Amino acid sequence: MSGPASLSDLAGRMAAVVGARNCFSAGPDLLTYECDGLTHGRTRPDLVVLPGSTAEVVEVVRLARASGRPIVPRGSGTGLSGGARPVPGCVVVALSRMRRILEVNLEDGWVRVEPGVLNLDVTKHVSAAGHYYAPDPSSQSICSIGGNVAENSGGAHCLKYGFTVNHVLGARLVLHDGKVVDIGGPALDAPGHDLLAALVGSEGMLGIVTEVTLRLLRKPEATRTFFATFPSTDEGGEAVSRIIAAGILPAAIEMMDRLAIEAAKAATGLDWPDVGAALLMDADGPAAEVEDLSARAVKIAREVGALELRLPRNEAERQLMWKGRKSAFAAVGRISPNYLVEDGTIPRSEIAPVLREIESMARDNGLRVANVFHAGDGNLHPLVLYDARNGGEEERAENLGGDILRMCVRRGGSITGEHGVGAEKAAYMADMYGESDLETMQWVRAAFDPEGAMNPGKVFPKLRLCGEKPGPGGLEHPAVKSGEVQRW
Amino acid sequence: MVTRERPGTAADAVQGAVPRLVLEPSTVEEAVEAMARAAAEKLALAFVGGGTDLGLGGRPSRLDAVLRTGALSRLVDHAPADQVVTAEAGMTLAALSEVLARHRQRLALDAPFPGRATVGGVVAANAFGPRRARFGAARDLVLGVSLVRADGVAARGGAKVVKNVAGFDLPRLMVGSLGTLALLTRVTFRVHPLPETEGTVLFPGLDVDQVRSLSAAWRAAQLEPVSAVALFASDRLDLGVRFEGFEAGVADQVGRLLELSRKAGIPGERLPAPGAAGFWARHDAVRERGSLRVKLSAPPSRLGEMARSWLPTLLGELSPGAAAVYPTLGLAFASGEPASAAGLVAGVRDARAAIVAAGGSLTIGEAPAAIRPAVDPWGPPPPSIDLMRALKERFDPERRLAPGRFVGGI
Repeated sequence: MSGPASLSDLAGRMAAVVGARNCFSAGPDLLTYECDGLTHGRTRPDLVVLPGSTAEVVEVVRLARASGRPIVPRGSGTGLSGGARPVPGCVVVALSRMRRILEVNLEDGWVRVEPGVLNLDVTKHVSAAGHYYAPDPSSQSICSIGGNVAENSGGAHCLKYGFTVNHVLGARLVLHDGKVVDIGGPALDAPGHDLLAALVGSEGMLGIVTEVTLRLLRKPEATRTFFATFPSTDEGGEAVSRIIAAGILPAAIEMMDRLAIEAAKAATGLDWPDVGAALLMDADGPAAEVEDLSARAVKIAREVGALELRLPRNEAERQLMWKGRKSAFAAVGRISPNYLVEDGTIPRSEIAPVLREIESMARDNGLRVANVFHAGDGNLHPLVLYDARNGGEEERAENLGGDILRMCVRRGGSITGEHGVGAEKAAYMADMYGESDLETMQWVRAAFDPEGAMNPGKVFPKLRLCGEKPGPGGLEHPAVKSGEVQRW
Repeated sequence: MVTRERPGTAADAVQGAVPRLVLEPSTVEEAVEAMARAAAEKLALAFVGGGTDLGLGGRPSRLDAVLRTGALSRLVDHAPADQVVTAEAGMTLAALSEVLARHRQRLALDAPFPGRATVGGVVAANAFGPRRARFGAARDLVLGVSLVRADGVAARGGAKVVKNVAGFDLPRLMVGSLGTLALLTRVTFRVHPLPETEGTVLFPGLDVDQVRSLSAAWRAAQLEPVSAVALFASDRLDLGVRFEGFEAGVADQVGRLLELSRKAGIPGERLPAPGAAGFWARHDAVRERGSLRVKLSAPPSRLGEMARSWLPTLLGELSPGAAAVYPTLGLAFASGEPASAAGLVAGVRDARAAIVAAGGSLTIGEAPAAIRPAVDPWGPPPPSIDLMRALKERFDPERRLAPGRFVGGI
């Protein structure tokens, strides 16, 4: 295929593939695609294309590559790390038209879907039959399965049930050159390397996923939720540690600090008290087991000094408690004109000292930080509050966010528990991993995409390759090929 | 310190390939040096932990040196409060269990040969046991790895926390890679609390339809066993279902399962501790004995063919032969002594053709030398084989790490 000569030529050829309505290079629609859920750092793409099938994705990828343009795949655009942020001169391939549920097999416990299907719609589709799809990011009513696969999304209940990677059985992948490859499938342990493990969480850098086979779980028989408040996050953290130490594996165990509680109350009108920490725990499983686990956990919460314990009387009350938690990010908008959402992980046992350190770091910077977190697995979501109208405050907030992530790494944790690295945290990867670690990850990328054409500029920090020899076998580094770095 | 080395002997052979050199690093630093030396001297390598899965895959097409990880067996770090443990690759599952048990924890990976199988080997071979039904396999429990690449450079992937999505997933990519991509030197796992109690219910002498209806019934009733295994006993199946946890939950689930079975007219009983140990020992024997051992995988809905056709095809060629089915996972194992090489080759070929057509696979875990040349250890390569070759080319362009042992001759 000869490469399209100009952008308008390319747009014309793309339109012939996907239809004129599903391809645009100007106009108000383009604005939506300049960023994802991380709304600062906008970049205008050359072209946005919305293919409707695997065959169309293949054509779109071939055309884009023939024109020499990088490709940025996109799901619902709800990501919080800039993973779907365009790069200059790119073609954004948005999968939101591909939202069919293709096949359900309850006996074997799987569903095959297109990537634009929304996370919650999978569960809705099989709910009447008593099944569900376990990963439940807070954005589950709007985020797509394709995006979940790219980011290896988690959610409150991944403490017990694992992440997207634990629930993807197979995928159809369109590679950088338009080849279509099927990976995995409904039977376990297909011979060969675990390419699904490489694919899930690769942030759109290995190809475009056009079908995904997801594991479905049988709904647990019972779920018991309790809400407990504590004078401070010290006692809350202690309760979490002791619940876990007692051999209890909660389905979810979430904590919010004083500022986050204040925000959630302002946003939802919940009658939560003004306290230093609130804990929300789900236990699920067979009814008798759940009653037992829940009673044990409640007893521990009392012993540790819970101020108040609430048990929902019905499912509606339970949903309301969770609503307070799940709306926490947006709720912070009620108490601050602007905020940054961070996402770091620390060893669970260090929650209390880390929160104190965050508080002191915030004070030193003249800023406030609200904390909402998955306490069971040490996944913090510090929300750095600021007012962009105050000169320099946004920059201070960004610096504080970065310092918090570095502190997570110093404590033996990670710069991201579930939001991904994306464009936003690529710079911090070098704090967590050494050069050889990152180089090894680049080998994985290069095996799928030697050109570095898929979603360039994400995950990997800008490398200095001064004096470095080409990779093994004389293979060129994908970051060099993609133009992300130059040798010098 | 310098890596201990000695000439290879027949005892160091990998499927009959005898290395001329054996390297036995006792620290991670020594392992890095040994790998750098192997790179400089362009040695073809195989990595050996406890040697419990050396029958998996093909015979290495070249083998200059075996790198044994047995002396690399220290506990690196155990944070009980975080339920995370890091061990050197050569630590055995049994040694790790002992350390974890002091804190009432365990690695929920009940692979065969715990006294010999090493954590690195278990990851590399994707070894697992019946608790996979509840806790998953190595890919569901591994959090981080330290490795040494073919070029002798050390690298790390993952983290020491349960929740981490930073960077590409090197730890899970190592699972099942059988030493074709890198040497594992340390592995970090998520661990779980030891259960307060367990209960095993035995339903002896079932036919496969009864196994299916009973497992469908407990699924419908939302019971959550940690393992379910059906052992072949002549032409019947003995089904064992195990629950673990706190006493209240276990007792309740055992009682409800027995109630379900009574309604279905299937007699069963909760085994006292010695009886339960006996049942699971019978299972372990299927996994650990026999000069032939194969693994079958298919969608769980194909259980009928698994029990009525594919396994009997293999068992017909084994004398004695045994088989264990994990009905909820669609996995099964057959093992035993071949009656005749030619018959077994035909049996494997027929069973494999049928199971591959059903979307599954049949892989050789152990086989007598006589049938090796006639049977592909993996079966037909998957459609994604080109990506696997590309991966191998990046990680090991000189093809020195276990060449020829993996799928498609990788």
